[in-house]
Amino acid sequence: MAKQYAMIVQVAKCIGCQACTVACKFQNEVPDGQYRTKTPAIGPKGTYPNLSLFFEKEACQMCKNAPCVKVCPTRASYKNEDGVVLVDVDKCVGCKYCMTACPYDARFTNAKTGAVDKCSFCYEIRVGNGQKPACVSTCVGGALEFGNINDSNSDAAKLLAKYKAQVRKPEFGTIPNVYYIYEGVK
Amino acid sequence: MRRRQFLKGALYGTGSMIALGGCGSLTKVDQKTLAANQIAEKTVYSTCEMCTSRCTMAAKVRDGKVIKIEGNPNDSSTAGTVCARGSAGVSLLYDPQRIKKPMIRTGERGTGKFKEVSWDEAYTFIADKVTQIQQNYGPEAIAFASRINPQDAFFRQIAKAIGSPNTFSHEATCPMTKTTALEMTFGNPWIAADYGNAKYIITSGRNFFEGIHVSMVKGVMKAVQNGAKLVVLDPRFSVTAAKGEWVPIKGATDLAFFMAMANIMIKENLYDKDFIENYTEGFDKWVEAVKDKTPEWAEKETGIPKEKIIEITRDFAAKRPNALVEFGWRTPWTPNDYQCRRAILIINLMMGNWEVPGGYYQKKGAGVLQPFPDQAGYAKPTGGGYGPMPPAPKPSKGRIDGAGVKGTPGILIPVADGAVGQIPESILTEKPYAIKGWLVHRFNPVISMTESERIIESFKKLDLLVTCDVYMTDTAYYSDVVLPECTYLERYEPIIDQSGLIPKIQLRQPVVPLVYPDTKPAWLIYKELGQKMGIGDFFSFKDMEEFLERQLKPSGIAFDQMKEKGFWSPADMKPFYMRGKDPKAPAAPSLNEKGKMHIFSHEIEEAIPGQGIPVYTKYPQPGEGEFRFVQGKVAVHTNAGTHNVPVLNELMPTNSLWINSVSATKLGIKDGDNIVITAGKYEHKGVAKVTEAIRPDTVFCYHGFGRISPGLKRAYGKGINDNKLIPNAIGESGNVVTSMTFVKIRKV
Ligand code: SF4
Ligand code: SF4
Ligand code: SF4
Repeated sequence: MAKQYAMIVQVAKCIGCQACTVACKFQNEVPDGQYRTKTPAIGPKGTYPNLSLFFEKEACQMCKNAPCVKVCPTRASYKNEDGVVLVDVDKCVGCKYCMTACPYDARFTNAKTGAVDKCSFCYEIRVGNGQKPACVSTCVGGALEFGNINDSNSDAAKLLAKYKAQVRKPEFGTIPNVYYIYEGVK
Repeated sequence: MRRRQFLKGALYGTGSMIALGGCGSLTKVDQKTLAANQIAEKTVYSTCEMCTSRCTMAAKVRDGKVIKIEGNPNDSSTAGTVCARGSAGVSLLYDPQRIKKPMIRTGERGTGKFKEVSWDEAYTFIADKVTQIQQNYGPEAIAFASRINPQDAFFRQIAKAIGSPNTFSHEATCPMTKTTALEMTFGNPWIAADYGNAKYIITSGRNFFEGIHVSMVKGVMKAVQNGAKLVVLDPRFSVTAAKGEWVPIKGATDLAFFMAMANIMIKENLYDKDFIENYTEGFDKWVEAVKDKTPEWAEKETGIPKEKIIEITRDFAAKRPNALVEFGWRTPWTPNDYQCRRAILIINLMMGNWEVPGGYYQKKGAGVLQPFPDQAGYAKPTGGGYGPMPPAPKPSKGRIDGAGVKGTPGILIPVADGAVGQIPESILTEKPYAIKGWLVHRFNPVISMTESERIIESFKKLDLLVTCDVYMTDTAYYSDVVLPECTYLERYEPIIDQSGLIPKIQLRQPVVPLVYPDTKPAWLIYKELGQKMGIGDFFSFKDMEEFLERQLKPSGIAFDQMKEKGFWSPADMKPFYMRGKDPKAPAAPSLNEKGKMHIFSHEIEEAIPGQGIPVYTKYPQPGEGEFRFVQGKVAVHTNAGTHNVPVLNELMPTNSLWINSVSATKLGIKDGDNIVITAGKYEHKGVAKVTEAIRPDTVFCYHGFGRISPGLKRAYGKGINDNKLIPNAIGESGNVVTSMTFVKIRKV
């Protein structure tokens, strides 16, 4: 079966430490002031002293049905054989159609390359070498997992089998490959 | 269109948004080139120094440049991770704002006028001044203060060689009260918790998930994921509180909570009597001390309903011995905070959680393992690196803080650290005698010690102020001589012992050559300064290679192996708990002479009669219109050390003052309003963050902002410097006092 790479975020284990944010910047040489991923706080919600607070790592959702790919006039945005949405910087003309089309606001113009940029699942730079993405490898809370979810033995698939997972904005029909597990979130 | 809000979210409590933009060259670096580059990478294993936790790390080096810092994948304690600060070390290394040449001040103090000089000129200047002070006032008139670090041994060597007893670490500003409590209770402070196996953790203010120590985060998270209960006593809703049950305790009353816990446990028979009998002494005095400390009483003190105190106590005790109360990290909240820490340790002893999974343990360095026949094989002791040394002159006067003198209150001050707050006091008052010279190494008194303006005032009376650091810090800015140290990624340091349940030693080594060629490692700076001062024979090692070879010799571990792996730990050893198999096993090898832990401390009693057992002090609470001012750590910064590091500054450039929404409404303050905070004669401007996440009688800010050195171009002038508002008081164990300041807030 073809591979389908996916990222799993166990929200209860995320402490908002931004180790992922910084690791991603260095791994992918993301310019100053720009980010492929960030982990903002959701909350605190409620009234003193009954509060809740959690963090949600944000990045490209790696949609199976990717609107950005559909609108790209030069095919710079494409989906590869392992289900990963990527941008070919040489083909990107910077028209920003994809940025408008993305329901997750995950894309930006890279100030160094002039091309559109976003999370790549560290596909060529790490996953191809048998490593997990930079953010996953350095997650201090242990909240992130990554793998081929078409392989039921992968850690990612096991997590999806064990817990109920959600995706972002399912109503858009994008079918994301970033899953959020809220088990244990207070 | 909502443009990129998605990736512009605020960090928790910082109020800062990440701005987009910034322009760079339009070189196209695509993923394929990056992937090809990776093949040419080499990995150098070392030890992180972006905070004091000293995690193992791996630097990825390409063409002689560090491109990324990761965790060391072979280290199970961190699971191969580093935190955001650890990753950001690269941007410190290449920061053009680092200081690059030695400098001597040319203008008035605080005008920032310096000239660049050669190292030889800098050394000569310092040596001449030191000699003058020695001749006029004696060597004890020179004080030494550094952030604790393996390499500050070289800095302290200067003090030793000239005969000054006045050496200090930064610890009085941070963990000192718990160090005192550990020493007085266990006889040594080398004690740690086995969080990962705990089933119930109570923390009094220790904020595991923002004051990050990676392996401890991993441990606490493992426990919580396995169903452990986490109770967080804190006036502020921290990230740690968000992961457990938040108990918003009234400030400075934590001791009342723990005394009531003991009261309930004794009344309801919820403690480990065998353990208390076999391993401790003085429990009867504790029984007496807490007999009237009922939950009703504690409710009035702490503001926590008595039912809640009883519920927590019963549930906690039911999990013994895998129940632990965290003894804290940054702890100097009240003048006698050590008493609160002592009570915490006593609660732990009542749980019998000593040397069992999920409890406390003696760190298993070589010396601890040696007496155990089945463990001794894992002990690989290291030795000294200095080589032969002449006898050091005996200081003719005692320390200015009286630390370590038996039978006096000074016995409560850990002598390796000292009450650093006494330095400015002795400069200004000349009591017990004058301090005329102050050498500072990788420490920033202006921001890290309380009462910034008094510290600066004291600088003005000095004949010599020297700062060695990587940036033009706020203290460097006022110094006579500024010495540029290289970063931790460019130098060797002595072997670092990071033993936990199994032994572990680590190496810090250069991962790349010097980025700025005129910076130097501390060992070389103090060796050369020593030579200039005529005390070179206190540094009788050629270089760090020789020093480290000597240190490693007794262990039989090859230096090359350390260089290759970055750390050593016995691969086949299981975590060793002295009472893991036999609850009556001797478990106190390095404790006091009787081998018993001191619930009652004769040493304290002798020094301060009536205090041998924790005694409750009822501290004042803020009145109408006042707020208790508390401070804390954030995951992306360390103390006063990282606020100018490019990537970390970008993530969090400033702080704000947290104020409860009800209190803010009364004052007409809205979120984001400009405010003035007043504390006695001091004032500070700031921005209000109106929130539900704090008690109505308390305000909070993250520490380390509001920098006054223009040399810190990114951090300069941004945010609130908490220590500007806090008076320089010296607590009973030599600690600064961080949480006894009441402030008023007004809108501007
Ligand atoms: S997978 Fe790689 S590119 Fe995507 S957020 Fe993580 S580190 Fe960044
Ligand atoms: S590194 Fe992990 S725990 Fe930290 S913010 Fe990122 S996802 Fe959360
Ligand atoms: S906690 Fe972070 S900054 Fe501190 S030593 Fe570990 S990786 Fe480095």
